[in-house]
Amino acid sequence: MATTIIMPKLGLTMTEGTIEKWLKKEGERVEKGEPLLKILTEKINFQYESPASGILRKVLYKEGAVVPVTTPIAIIAEEGEALPEIELVKTQTPSPEQAPAAAARTEAKTTGKRVFASPAAKKAAEEKGIDLSSLQGSGPEGRIVLADVAGAAGKATVAETKLKAAEKVIPLTGIRKIIAQRMTESFRDVPHFYLSVEVDMSAVLNLREKVKDEVEKRAKVKLTVTDILVKIVASALKNNPIMNSRFAGDRIHLLDEVNMGVAIALEDGLIVPVVRRADQKTLAEIASNIRNLTKKAKRGKLSLEDVTGGTFTLSNMGMLGIDMMSPIINPPECSILGVGRTIEKPVVEKGEIKIKPLAWLTLSSDHRIVDGAAAGFFLNRIRELIENPSCLLV
Amino acid sequence: MSEITFVDALRITIKEEMERDPSLLLIGEDIGRYGGIFGVTKGMLDEFGPQRVRSTPISESAIIGSALGAAMTGIRTVAELMYIDFSGVAMDQIINQVAKMTYMSGGAAKVPMVIRTQEGGGRGNAAQHSQCLEGLFLHIPGLKIVMPSNAYDAKGLLKTAIRDDNPVLFIEHKLLYAAKSAIPDEEYLIPLGQADVKRKGKDVTIVTISYMVTVALQAAARLAQEGIEAEVIDLRTLVPLDMETVLKSVRNTNRAVIVHEECRTGGFGAEIAAQIQEEAFDFLDAPVARVGAKDVPIPYTEPLERAVIPQEDDIVKAVRKVLYRS
Repeated sequence: MATTIIMPKLGLTMTEGTIEKWLKKEGERVEKGEPLLKILTEKINFQYESPASGILRKVLYKEGAVVPVTTPIAIIAEEGEALPEIELVKTQTPSPEQAPAAAARTEAKTTGKRVFASPAAKKAAEEKGIDLSSLQGSGPEGRIVLADVAGAAGKATVAETKLKAAEKVIPLTGIRKIIAQRMTESFRDVPHFYLSVEVDMSAVLNLREKVKDEVEKRAKVKLTVTDILVKIVASALKNNPIMNSRFAGDRIHLLDEVNMGVAIALEDGLIVPVVRRADQKTLAEIASNIRNLTKKAKRGKLSLEDVTGGTFTLSNMGMLGIDMMSPIINPPECSILGVGRTIEKPVVEKGEIKIKPLAWLTLSSDHRIVDGAAAGFFLNRIRELIENPSCLLV
Repeated sequence: MSEITFVDALRITIKEEMERDPSLLLIGEDIGRYGGIFGVTKGMLDEFGPQRVRSTPISESAIIGSALGAAMTGIRTVAELMYIDFSGVAMDQIINQVAKMTYMSGGAAKVPMVIRTQEGGGRGNAAQHSQCLEGLFLHIPGLKIVMPSNAYDAKGLLKTAIRDDNPVLFIEHKLLYAAKSAIPDEEYLIPLGQADVKRKGKDVTIVTISYMVTVALQAAARLAQEGIEAEVIDLRTLVPLDMETVLKSVRNTNRAVIVHEECRTGGFGAEIAAQIQEEAFDFLDAPVARVGAKDVPIPYTEPLERAVIPQEDDIVKAVRKVLYRS
């Protein structure tokens, strides 16, 4: 019997998916459970396994196509078997060069907005084949003037020449494209502010020494400083509900669960798997959870479940030798904590110079949700817990 | 070639034309023994006698009416109105008689006359002696309007005006009388209806006339220091109007600033702006700008007079605006 493959709905909010790669060719045999194609959603790369055995008789959408969920995308059937008739949903696979212009045109049409341009600018745009609605006017009240058209024409030429001159061109696809979109949105729309503290890491390093064997015995993994920081930040979040929140337009959602996102660098980009209810987990549980997620991330096996629902993100760049960082908030979260390397430094304490392992922490926060005082209070709580982790037991 | 003032250029021209045409008649207040208040007709009475150089009572209607009568009977006449402000007194003669005679007679009566007058502020002469009224006459079909910006143009244009068989309003500017130009010894005429590009430029077209040419050129020099190359067009005559030169320039620069000393409302700038948008709409990158006097009578006190009459600064600002640099 013929099986129609549909674009799966991989999460509650998923409305469409991109066919990133067909792993089987049309006419090729595929067994049930074998990887059939790679699907890209807004959040993850997903490897789709064939629900049936047979021959991949028909591939309905090419790689790169964006298809609404539940739309048929392929048919698996036996040789010679009659295929069901399927009406194609019209989607186009825009080439990268055409895409922005096409989008701009559609937008202008649907919004029906009049484009204000000087007569000379209109004429020049027509002659040069430039779509006025794709331009930003620099004249009074956004009027598009000659200089804008000339600028656009100039830019196009410059960009083209640059592309031609580049030795290697990396198309913006997959995870890179998503990072580009989301980080642009975040940095453009979220008013970030940054608070930094330098903390004494002695107690955390001591703690790790003291309990690492116990953790290894229980969870079969090595305990890292990141694991301890996840526990500490999760605990601090529980005590500062405003930091464990989301901005939702006209309201702020305070979240019950503390789900800690941990940034992991992959070869082709960054992914943030989530340790759920980190505040309720033991160090051993957290360590094992993170190690598990990292393994999955490196193999491209993360599920949608693994990467959604985060309420806060921790990004530790200490192992890369970075002293201090100012991370971009992972929307819709309220904050992100950037951790720098731990390094021994001279510290003056009660008139005496001592050598201590210090590290910089930088908290980026969404000023729409919190102000400096609240974020500062939270960051100080993190410092207290880092410098005296026994408080976690209290 | 000699360097002479605007006043001298006018006097030499009139003298040459008096010699050329033995019937040419001068008429006006104080033009005889006194030689005219700016000295244009100095010495004419002695040279050509009271038959041809006629001082009149203070009656502008009589001056214009007499000149019209003489002209219609074939005696070429140059009438002088001491101030353009006084044309108000002679308005019926000018707009109902002078401007219409040729048309109402079906071309039978020619009107070879020039009304010489002067206008403009800048000398603290107050509201009744400082006006610029070319816009009023531009609205009356049948009058040619000439407004020279320098001594050289004044000579060539006045010769053409005197020899024209139609009535010509020849408007001088009181601040230009002392301005000097190099004038060739041999005779030359400048046709009416031929604008002159006084400065070449690619960024903006400044259209102006008379004394404002001087101010516009000063503004253009300042703009050049900002990297803005303004083209300055001296229209020289409002009727006939050389729109070809203006349009050619605007099609090249994509923006126009019209500068005149008469007040903005209803000034000739409105007419030129309208024609530019009719003929060069697709070439405009900014609305056509007009720089003109504020719509109030010219104040007596100097700072206020300066505030009302267009200055170099006003032109610079208008140019920056049409270039979206303000």
